[in-house]
Amino acid sequence: MTRKELITSLKKIIKPYSQNQQAFKNISEGTDFINDLKINSANLVDIILDVEDEFGIEIDNESMEKMLSVKSAIDIIETKLAES
Amino acid sequence: MIGNDIIDLSLAKIESNWQRRGFLEKQFSATEQQLILGATNSFSLVWRFWSMKEAAYKVFIQQNEMRFFAPKNFACLLISEKEGMVFYKDQIFYTSSTVNQNYIFTLASYEKLTKAYSKFVMPEFIDSMIKIKLEDLTTFSATEIEQKKSKNGAPFYYFKDILLTRSCSISHHGNYGVFSLLYA
Repeated sequence: MTRKELITSLKKIIKPYSQNQQAFKNISEGTDFINDLKINSANLVDIILDVEDEFGIEIDNESMEKMLSVKSAIDIIETKLAES
Repeated sequence: MIGNDIIDLSLAKIESNWQRRGFLEKQFSATEQQLILGATNSFSLVWRFWSMKEAAYKVFIQQNEMRFFAPKNFACLLISEKEGMVFYKDQIFYTSSTVNQNYIFTLASYEKLTKAYSKFVMPEFIDSMIKIKLEDLTTFSATEIEQKKSKNGAPFYYFKDILLTRSCSISHHGNYGVFSLLYA
């Protein structure tokens, strides 16, 4: 899966939790889940669980700590997919 | 230092499903999970623990360069209906939670008895109400008081170069907004 394809899949996951539709439209690797998309921090765990289901990977606690932006999420998914 | 968190329970019911597979395991220790599952009102305890973790994190982040998401590492201990403690690495936070049918509000502090002032306000007026409170405390005009955010998002209030808040925490969720502050 290319990075671009990963972002497309990730966007689908993030959409229902995103509270700032304008920022969501302009989503890029630099987008921050909380500061930009105004995602409720309690929903970060839903994103992590959705990512695990979608990509068939397990996100350990150490990786979870960094899951605050599109870039870090993509990096983590890429690493986990390569390991599996 | 202080940190706060508010949860609108009617919104939490819609936004999150705590019974979702993996939801508890990712965020709560084995002990916390046991307490949640054994509680008369599991839903309420999920969100009380969550607000304790979030409020403690908001204290910690004011002195930490990097933001992170590690709710499981903030371990909660319940002392009474209201009081609790949160442990993270070598740090201890004291928490006070108000729990009712409508919301859960937690204030966390390094101090057992904090002198922090907290006030519930409409979410859209939080910033203005903080400035008005600081005007009362300082006599500087509210219109000349400015909010500046630290690199990781913690709010601080200034009149020109004078820091007015030793620590300030803002939280809003659904119909509820609240600010807590320690005057400089």
